[in-house]
Amino acid sequence: MNPQNTTDEYLLLIRGTQWNHGLSPAELQRIMADFYGWVDSLAQKGVHRGAQPLVEEGKLVSGPHGHSVTDGVFAESKEAIAGYFRVAVTTMDEAVRLAQACPILAYGAQIEVRPIADLCRPMAEVKARQHESAIS
Amino acid sequence: MSPPSPDPAGSSGAIAEDLFRRESGRLVAILTGQLGVHRLQLAEDVVQEALVRALQTWPYRGVPDNPAAWLTQTAKHLALDHLRREQRWQDKEPSIASEHERWLAKPHASTGESESFGDETLRMLFVCFHPQLSTEAQTALALRTLCGFSPAEIAAAFLTTEAAISKRLVRARQRIRELAIPFSVPGPDELPTRLDGVLRTLYLLFNEGYKASAGERLVREDLCHEAIRLASLLLPLPATRHPKTHALLALMWLNAARLPGRTNDSGHLLRLQEQDRRLWNVSMIQRGIQHLALSGTGDEVTEYHLEAGIAACHSTSIDNAQTDWGRILFFYDQLLLRSNSPVIALNRAVAVARVRGAAAGLEAIDAISRSQRLEDYHLLHAVRGAFEADLGHHAEALVHFQKAESLATVPAERDFLSRRIQESERALG
Repeated sequence: MNPQNTTDEYLLLIRGTQWNHGLSPAELQRIMADFYGWVDSLAQKGVHRGAQPLVEEGKLVSGPHGHSVTDGVFAESKEAIAGYFRVAVTTMDEAVRLAQACPILAYGAQIEVRPIADLCRPMAEVKARQHESAIS
Repeated sequence: MSPPSPDPAGSSGAIAEDLFRRESGRLVAILTGQLGVHRLQLAEDVVQEALVRALQTWPYRGVPDNPAAWLTQTAKHLALDHLRREQRWQDKEPSIASEHERWLAKPHASTGESESFGDETLRMLFVCFHPQLSTEAQTALALRTLCGFSPAEIAAAFLTTEAAISKRLVRARQRIRELAIPFSVPGPDELPTRLDGVLRTLYLLFNEGYKASAGERLVREDLCHEAIRLASLLLPLPATRHPKTHALLALMWLNAARLPGRTNDSGHLLRLQEQDRRLWNVSMIQRGIQHLALSGTGDEVTEYHLEAGIAACHSTSIDNAQTDWGRILFFYDQLLLRSNSPVIALNRAVAVARVRGAAAGLEAIDAISRSQRLEDYHLLHAVRGAFEADLGHHAEALVHFQKAESLATVPAERDFLSRRIQESERALG
């Protein structure tokens, strides 16, 4: 069992917004207005805790001393993360419902919903073992 | 425990409804002015990319304080990036980037109503409406570059395919490069004829939007409004702020003002006497009248003056009965002296019927059909049918309406004619 606890915040990771360049300026603005309507609704519900877009291109650093620095798989990828929204809700259901209402899903975007954990998993496991040995 | 909520991204209410379209037109003109007309495609591409970048950024970070300036800077950076990449591949043109670098790198002063905005778009207008491009190419290019329409939207407005419009645009840009069309307003010796050409094409563009109705109504009304907007670009410069520019704008505003009353809720075309004049746009009529007043400053009377005069008679009359048909007939007489157009003659026949009765109207139509090949024009038969109906000749009216219906192609017009056929059949019992 995963000993991590969720906090009262979730990340909505927006993926795959490679906007079709055949869209007209008017259409792009319509999509923007729709998208904004959703962002505004997060604010109205009082759950908007922050958001950032990400640049498409980036680097992937790996190897023991970070010897390997590659362009990674971000660019051109339909799965590339385009940005995130941090929302304050207490259950996965609520977070999923917020994501489901996002209008850019209609344009092929995907939203990954991830609870923000209180601790990373290895640390949580250490803590859980300490807790167990303390009671036994 | 929860952190203070940061300012969420600013509301989209901060953006004007047509910001993207307007800015794309302005930016393509500015960038083309700097990069040269042979790089028109590059200008269009970076502007499009800048709009996409806005969509990828603003919803997360909020709308920038000055959205227009943001778009300008982004488009300029993208253009500069492109030129630098190009330079890396083509060493023989080492100066391309440096030539533009300084201009592209500096924050652009004109992000709003500054003077260079008007200048650049006016120059762009004269590039698009260059007489060595076909009329179709001219309008497609102007709608694409100055009005920010996509090929798909232009295709919808002209009832053709996106592929056909794209091909037309590619050829137009190619022709501009081949002819090395200058990015400038023509000099004084060339301007009068060039201005005539621009006005003519704008007139045709307006009529394209005005003449049909039905399914694509909104798109077509858009054409009317874009024609007005493009013609208005001619106003800042004294040389192009000609009385006939005002006359054209007067006729456009006065006719466009009546578009909302032309169909009923179910999209049926309505006759002038059936229209609810309260639906006509009063402020547009006022603008038309203002332009009409300004058009009277020269000593030249153009077709635009006469057509604006006719539109003014309709627009300012409280109902059909009060309309000054005598004056309208006078304008049509003048128009007919200038151009022997059968369509004008047909419209004149309507005015004749109003002034002298339906029988006189029928005579006028007979005179047209004797001299002109207008038998395939559905409106000729529709008008003839209307006159016969006015005279109580319902059997004749029925024949003419049926003929008109068989020739009409626009659904709303066919629908209108079938209603008139039913009326005639009812009258015949």
